[in-house]
Amino acid sequence: MEFEEMKKVWDTQNNEPLYVINEAALRNSIATKRDKGIHITNVTELLSIVVNLGAGVLILATGMFLLATWMIIIGVVCLAGRVRRKMGEQQFDRTMLGDLDYAVSIADYQVRFSGLMRWNIIPVGFLIVWSMWDKQNSIELMIGLISFFALTFYASGWEHNYYRSRRRNIEDLRKMLLKNDREEVNVR
Amino acid sequence: MTDKEQNDILEQWLAQYKSLIFKIVRSYAFTAMDREDLFQEISLQVWRSVPSFRGECAVTTWLYRVSLNTAIRFSQRERKRSENRADLNDSHQILLEADAHHDQRLEWLYGEISKLNAIDKSITLLMLEDFSYREMASIVGITETNIGVRINRIKKLLIEKSKKHDLHGV
Repeated sequence: MEFEEMKKVWDTQNNEPLYVINEAALRNSIATKRDKGIHITNVTELLSIVVNLGAGVLILATGMFLLATWMIIIGVVCLAGRVRRKMGEQQFDRTMLGDLDYAVSIADYQVRFSGLMRWNIIPVGFLIVWSMWDKQNSIELMIGLISFFALTFYASGWEHNYYRSRRRNIEDLRKMLLKNDREEVNVR
Repeated sequence: MTDKEQNDILEQWLAQYKSLIFKIVRSYAFTAMDREDLFQEISLQVWRSVPSFRGECAVTTWLYRVSLNTAIRFSQRERKRSENRADLNDSHQILLEADAHHDQRLEWLYGEISKLNAIDKSITLLMLEDFSYREMASIVGITETNIGVRINRIKKLLIEKSKKHDLHGV
């Protein structure tokens, strides 16, 4: 089959669509997905911002300046991430490459952020355990707390690895798109 | 722009250009469930993109841009199958198989397109839709020369494979 014939075969679909759209179901699906997406992202982001900033301010009053500053910084980083996401989500005029660049930048942010949150468990955990120790709490409570932070640190590694693998996939796709452009430059 | 205006434009675009989206869905998703999911995702992204459309390019170019970006990302990301199943159970089926005539050559062409990587797949679809090199470059974001190189390679590959298929029926 020559290419022109393939093109003719391809064009038959214009007169004879493969599917029929159930429009009422589509409208419902769009409304549901739109609300669900906005809800999940907003709640997660707002929780991180409010909890970190709120806890930071409250801890400041107890005199634990180091921990308070750290939590406020984390809150500000979450806020900056939200602003960046909001600014980027309405850009629909991007090319495929532009879209992948944007996806890489978001994936990169998620990797750095999940890494930061993971390592954040160590200083926060240490400061909390230290203050509990200072107040002469039971050894069982100390062991429970340390185990909890260790488990959280271990589990957050999964999340971090998930984001890393997602970033790698998008980067591979971007490389695939740019492959011939680079080859072209090298030939010149 | 109100939600109603946005919905009306989406419906109008879908009525006029649904074949375009069906072709992308069929090229990037291979099970009924994935097709349903990708179609929903593309429809949602097109709906979201409506307020950004300023008429600076043709509607088809715009739809290809939004739909291909969505399809490429869809084919890469890890989908939560159980979540999709739950979504499908909650709603009625959106894509209903039409009683269309099944052309074996078309089935073969889709089969070959499905074997290409995500980027070459997009370029093949644009090529089959008669987009110019310039338009393709503006949609994909790479140079016209690169588009040309890829198109030559893809055409050669498809023609060679079709010859083998004609000869051996494989």
